[in-house]
Amino acid sequence: MAKERSAYVIICLALIVTAILALMLGTQFYSLPQLWQALLGNRPAVLSTVLTFRLPRVLAAMIAGGMLASAGAISQAVFRNRLADPTILGVTSAGELFMLLGGMVLPAFIFQKQLLALLGGLVAFALLANRKTLRQPYQLIIVGVALNLTFMALTQLFTKGINVSSSLGFNGITWSSVYSLLITGFVGLVAVLLMAPWANDLKLSDEQLASVGVPVTDMRLGLLVLVVYLSADVTAAVGTIPFIGIIVPNIARYFVGHDYQTILPFSMLSGAWLLLVVDTIGRLVVLPSELSAATIMAVLGGPFLIILVQRGGFHGIKAR
Amino acid sequence: MELKHVNYGYPGSGQLITDFTASVPTGQILSIIGQNGAGKSTLLKLLMGSLSPSSGVVELDGKPISTLSSRKRAAKIALVSQQHQIYDEMTVKEVVKTGRLPFHSLLATITDAEVRPFLETVNLVQAMDRPLTSLSGGQQQRVWLATALAQEPAYLFLDEPTTYLDIRYQHDLMALIRKLNVTQHLTVIMVLHDINQALKISDQLWLIKQGQLVKAGTPAELLDEQLLSQAFELPIKIVEIEKYGPYVIQLTA
Repeated sequence: MAKERSAYVIICLALIVTAILALMLGTQFYSLPQLWQALLGNRPAVLSTVLTFRLPRVLAAMIAGGMLASAGAISQAVFRNRLADPTILGVTSAGELFMLLGGMVLPAFIFQKQLLALLGGLVAFALLANRKTLRQPYQLIIVGVALNLTFMALTQLFTKGINVSSSLGFNGITWSSVYSLLITGFVGLVAVLLMAPWANDLKLSDEQLASVGVPVTDMRLGLLVLVVYLSADVTAAVGTIPFIGIIVPNIARYFVGHDYQTILPFSMLSGAWLLLVVDTIGRLVVLPSELSAATIMAVLGGPFLIILVQRGGFHGIKAR
Repeated sequence: MELKHVNYGYPGSGQLITDFTASVPTGQILSIIGQNGAGKSTLLKLLMGSLSPSSGVVELDGKPISTLSSRKRAAKIALVSQQHQIYDEMTVKEVVKTGRLPFHSLLATITDAEVRPFLETVNLVQAMDRPLTSLSGGQQQRVWLATALAQEPAYLFLDEPTTYLDIRYQHDLMALIRKLNVTQHLTVIMVLHDINQALKISDQLWLIKQGQLVKAGTPAELLDEQLLSQAFELPIKIVEIEKYGPYVIQLTA
């Protein structure tokens, strides 16, 4: 309990400190007194930079990080596989493909990107989830990786090799995207917290759940739709950002234990923090240009995944 | 609980249960015995309503069991299997809490206090915060029993509950089941491999062969060398052991 509580205190403090730092840092450095003066209305130029460029980006990174981390944690519960994550299973790349194709052939409509990404994600899950992949963890990952590559290649085919996801990202994100992300993200994260007990229930076998009267298929489907909703929303706003959904929940388990009612809120906070750190570093390392959060996450995530598998942290189906 | 002319076959594998008619004696311990593949576990699933008969009907309190929702059924019928699987770490109390799911909304959080009495019954309160996998096989089986009891069932089903337990734990579990049957008026329905264990603990037995009821009766009525030899297709002898009573042995070397 004490370890859990200190983990929560530390991650909250880290999030606040990092958010303030992210507002201070950039092509132009603003000190705390400068920010304070700007807030009081004495430095309109500073205020304008912060409000137009930095604040929307900080908010977007935090909410997207929280959404991706919880989507990862829930996928791991549903697939009973600690490597399951929408970004490596092809869910988000299917979303990108559908967004691209929909943009090409359909007239514009409200929430077009979000809905197309959602549809793509659902298609990917429909292709992915079957009796065999649910029973055999390695098969799930291999099929997922193959799907992911296929969707990515199709996207490239239709764009004649131009990488569309690099055109998204947090750079130049507008308040309107941020608002939409905040609203959909808030709804999704509340749903995550409400449905957390289901993630715990899925630790039992389907037979056992059926014998206590739980509609296990509906439960699993509900959680999968939530996963697709969360990851599709982020994909629609900023493109695919890989590995957050694997790294964060697995580290969260180390700090707060195995109960999804604590793993999920902790993953939200740590996901928010990690993506904010990564995006802020990306803004700074190659000034005046920048590295996308997706690129940095891929660099960090690959090795992490390898360590996780090699160290035996890869629990697919674990018998008692 | 009653079976009326129940037939059942898995698609493609022929008839598993044939014209089965029998009624479960309320408030007693009933054991189903027979060879491997005789249809014991299938019969258990039919009785629990987790399989539906291809013809005939299984009735609970005078109504077909198929008309009950899975939640309502779970509040009447609980199951302890021979082996349970969990896919991630769970503490003892977390496992037992799942037994309370039939009584709550699916999104509810269940308190420790609610499951404490069931852990007391199986004498595992002190282990409630421990990971399930840190417990011995016998203790784990008691956790699953507590989970079943948390459903507050009228009927407790056990599918070969002693298979993976050593004889000491087998004895303790059987004693506990008898105690529950007496104190909580539970109707207990078990599939048991060990004939002697079944004869010792049961009030009633169903001897089945190839999906058909050979004989239903008390242990005394089933202690018949010819009957058992035919049902198990083995030469069987019943010997009298001092301070124990009749004991079934098979005569093949």
